[in-house]
Amino acid sequence: MKNKYDRPSTGQMQTAEKRHAADLPFALLTLLLLAIGVVTVLSASFASAYYDIQGETGHDPVYYFSRQAVFALAGVGVMALCSRVPMRVWRRLAGPVMALSLGSLAAVLAVGSVVNGARRWINLGFTTFQPSEITKIAIILYFSALICKYKDRMRTFRYGIAPFALVLSAVAALLVMEPHFSATIIILMIGASMLFLGGAALGWFIGGAGLLGVGGVLAVALVPYVAERVNSFRDPFSDLTGDGWQIVQSLYAIGSGGLTGLGLGQSRQKYLYLPEEHNDFIFSVVCEELGFIGASLILVLFALLILRGYWLCMHAPDRFSFLVGGGITTMLALQVVLNAAVCTNLVPCTGISLPFFSYGGTALLIQMAEAGIVLSLSREIPFAETEGPSPIRKK
Amino acid sequence: MAQTDSTPNRSMIRRALFLSAVCGILAFTVLIAQLFRLQILRHDELEGAALRQQLRRTAITAGRGTIYDVNGRVLAISATTFTVYLSPAEIAMNGEDPELIASGLSGILGKDRERILGMAGDRRSWYKTVARQIDRDRAAEVRAFKARYDLQGVKLEPDTKRYYPYSNLAAHLIGFVGVDNTGLAGVEYTYNDELTGTDGSILRLKNSIGTDLLLSSYEDYVDAENGNSVYLTIDADLQYFLEKQLRQAVRDYDVQNGAAGILMDPRTGAILAMASLGDFDLNRYQEVSEDVRAEIGAMTDEDEAAQRLAAAQQAQWRNKAISDTYEPGSTFKIITLAMALEEGLVNPGSSFFCGGSMSVQGRGKPLNCWKHAGHGPQTLTQAVQHSCNVAFASIGLRVGEETFYRYCEDFGFFRASEDPDASLTGRTGIPLPGESGSIWWSRNVFCNPENFSQLAAASFGQTFNITPLQMITAVSACCNGGYLMQPYVVDRITDADGALLSRTEPQVLRQVISEATSRQVNAILEQVVCDTTQGTGKNAYVAGYRVAGKTGTSEKVARDAAGGSKEYIVSFIGYAPADDPRVICLVLMDTPSASTGIYISGGQMAAPVVGKIMADVLPCLGVEPRYTAAESRYLDRPVPEVTGMTLTGAKKTLKDAGLNVRIVGEGDTVTDQLPGAGTAVAAGSAVILYAGTAPGEDTVTMPELTGLTYAQARDRMGERALFVCSDGTILADSDTVRVAFQSIPAGTALGRGDTAVVTLVNDDNESYGIY
Repeated sequence: MKNKYDRPSTGQMQTAEKRHAADLPFALLTLLLLAIGVVTVLSASFASAYYDIQGETGHDPVYYFSRQAVFALAGVGVMALCSRVPMRVWRRLAGPVMALSLGSLAAVLAVGSVVNGARRWINLGFTTFQPSEITKIAIILYFSALICKYKDRMRTFRYGIAPFALVLSAVAALLVMEPHFSATIIILMIGASMLFLGGAALGWFIGGAGLLGVGGVLAVALVPYVAERVNSFRDPFSDLTGDGWQIVQSLYAIGSGGLTGLGLGQSRQKYLYLPEEHNDFIFSVVCEELGFIGASLILVLFALLILRGYWLCMHAPDRFSFLVGGGITTMLALQVVLNAAVCTNLVPCTGISLPFFSYGGTALLIQMAEAGIVLSLSREIPFAETEGPSPIRKK
Repeated sequence: MAQTDSTPNRSMIRRALFLSAVCGILAFTVLIAQLFRLQILRHDELEGAALRQQLRRTAITAGRGTIYDVNGRVLAISATTFTVYLSPAEIAMNGEDPELIASGLSGILGKDRERILGMAGDRRSWYKTVARQIDRDRAAEVRAFKARYDLQGVKLEPDTKRYYPYSNLAAHLIGFVGVDNTGLAGVEYTYNDELTGTDGSILRLKNSIGTDLLLSSYEDYVDAENGNSVYLTIDADLQYFLEKQLRQAVRDYDVQNGAAGILMDPRTGAILAMASLGDFDLNRYQEVSEDVRAEIGAMTDEDEAAQRLAAAQQAQWRNKAISDTYEPGSTFKIITLAMALEEGLVNPGSSFFCGGSMSVQGRGKPLNCWKHAGHGPQTLTQAVQHSCNVAFASIGLRVGEETFYRYCEDFGFFRASEDPDASLTGRTGIPLPGESGSIWWSRNVFCNPENFSQLAAASFGQTFNITPLQMITAVSACCNGGYLMQPYVVDRITDADGALLSRTEPQVLRQVISEATSRQVNAILEQVVCDTTQGTGKNAYVAGYRVAGKTGTSEKVARDAAGGSKEYIVSFIGYAPADDPRVICLVLMDTPSASTGIYISGGQMAAPVVGKIMADVLPCLGVEPRYTAAESRYLDRPVPEVTGMTLTGAKKTLKDAGLNVRIVGEGDTVTDQLPGAGTAVAAGSAVILYAGTAPGEDTVTMPELTGLTYAQARDRMGERALFVCSDGTILADSDTVRVAFQSIPAGTALGRGDTAVVTLVNDDNESYGIY
């Protein structure tokens, strides 16, 4: 990218206006995964769109694909746009975004449409979206701003824990009312990661982890619903009609892939055996069609993107950018890892979508916006044009 | 803003580094390891399980082959029907209403609604059969019902049903199939493999709702091969005649325990017809007779009713011609005769004396002839004509136990055993299910030089049991030049397109007697039938044909011993033409009733039946009748057309035709005649000629004719302006030939000129006897 700031940095204090070219590896990895994701939606959704089990596609086999492709194109634009919004602007937007998020979370309880017994979607007329998607980025932006404000006081309970816990509790309460447990878990984990990056005392995390462990054991022991989930996770083949069904179908798909896969478009499990095959279980179709080699390659691409995200965050010129970059990257990592772990039965089944792959227009737009924010921060890293030392080693 | 405050401190950087290691490297390492485990280590297991749910094998049902008679008439054929089944899993998946489905299907198919509802509720199942062999119309209704409510869980698949166009005809021989189209009886059973064909299959990838994948690369198609067609040796016409006459005989003689008949080509062993009564409709083979149904309906105990039904079904499915064994009695004298002639021990001129009884070594009491007064001196031919037991016992003793035993084995009545003490058995090996084995004395008992009682009794067919088929096969060997033939029922097998696959070649098992001996046997047995004074088989006479044969009557020993009234099996075995046998016929009737007034014996009861069968069958086989001048005199004749002639001309025409004349009216021209031209009437009947007057419209009463001679019957009818003709084959050339049955019961009101049919029997009480 050419612009008027294209000159060697001399190490002097950078102004916020000093912006450079966006990070090419991060941008390319994002676009590559997006492209693969859109093609995968075509392959995975082809059958269910054709049979039109939901009664929404009108038997158009490319129904889901064409919509996803439009959102992907729009997403590229959104990413480019967001990458041009300076970080200080994002910092100023943290509060309003948080307010919007809380508002929409409250609104969904009132006007959301019920799908499978839960109110998670708001219908805007031209599209639908899940407020929880906005909440994720809202938490990241808002917590980053808050952490920057409290700085060294982060180690105390009053500043380092209490206000954050308050916000998280409010958000979690709203999500549980939908109910939307998987989003609750992701958001709690994002919040925890933010506090971790922000410098909260490690004791809280150790204590929190211990508390979670005890709570988990108690939940398994006392709540039949949770116990059921865990049982079907431990031995999915024991219950082929209930929860076990989808995980078994996922394992069949993954196992059928073998080393090299059945070939792009050749999945058999997508023919109405595998539920949510273009959403939560799209990764299983990837495994079936592209095999161990293809699926591993895609996981490696995700890993590279995540590592690059952390690398960018660690080189961020200021604390806010660092926290936002680290938060977004951690959120990305959490979703990718948890989604793949559910598909491969490493963790009990929860509904978590795979970024850039799972079908869903607004979610994709928001993911692209998040990638744009990371790119925005990358443009404020001065090293890109210099052979100078990394900020990490700089005193 | 100080840089130190706004940049992340070292601790934060370290924490970010930690997260990147955990989230960016560790987590992905675990994921890839898990992928390796699932996709490489557990690949075969998981793919196998996946394919089990994805692959569906669809059977392509092979059409079952057709069964034809020897002339290509269809005896059994399969038609497409449908099986209606439910896929409860899809009913559940699509949220279809099981109540609606159960009500709809039970209405169309007449099945129990609750049962269908139960099937629809079994959500784990993909296949529950509701009804099989639904015809096209019902299938169309089901299809319409399915379409109206868009029911994915209700399915139809093609199937086949067996149809038997001739219903009861040759039911035991053709056999039937079960609901799965597998042969359960008769030729359907024995030739099941030929008829079945090979089902094909399609192995296809299916989606979870059971339809084909859109883009599938995995498909395995094996074409179905339709079953072969089987052409029987049976001729439907001959089978019809055999059954018609058997049925009539069972009615006439009030036969209690069924009847069997076999028609065979003695030259080849091909079965031309085979019947067993009581029979059943192949299209409803489980349905029993009305009597039994009424009996079962009256039963209160369900188990008892079920047992009665099963017993009645087993009884009606039993092919008596091969499954029942009997003491052949005097028909077996043919065998004794043949072996004695072959051994040169007797010749047609040999003389015998029958004093009514004889003593036999080893037999406590003397052996009685059926004619206690004795037959006196007689030639061999006469001994056969008389069916003399004393003469045949002495012939048997002359043959000797060892030779007799060997001949019986050669004629196929049993199979020799290594163990001389084992009781012997044997069967023909006809390719039909349920053939029984004979029951013979062990070698040591039969060939005991100290005791000839078995030999003496066996010489006239007692003390052992054989099947009717064994009997007819052995007698075929006696009359066909001496060759024991392998009996068979399938003439040829073709593939579904009609290309010949195999043809059964007649198989000579062995030559038992010489051709010369066989000719002697034929000459003697013809005398049994054609000699109207001495022949015990005279009631099998067929005018215009040379029929040879032998009677048989045997007491049923078991019932006799139990103290009841005596019961008999009456039989006759006959063949024609005697000089070149083309067809041989055995008829046996189990337990005719004494109530009919007809003397119970093979000669009085079975012989006329065989005669009638021969009269029907021989023209079909292309054997034309040749009447002697004597025979022509006694034959019924058609009334010529004389209406419109002058009286003189008409009288002459009728005279020439062997008929008499009665004239009513005063005119010169015949204005009407009774009976009409073409009607067959007894020779000497008085045809009524109307000259100017019309026949009266009043009715007359049918008189009783039984016991009268044919001429008496003719005249008694003539008095009432009625006429008779004979359905029989014997000639009314003797006063002993009497009317046994009349087709119209006495007392029936008839119009003038009507004709009644009578059955004639040579009822010579001189020849009454158990022979």
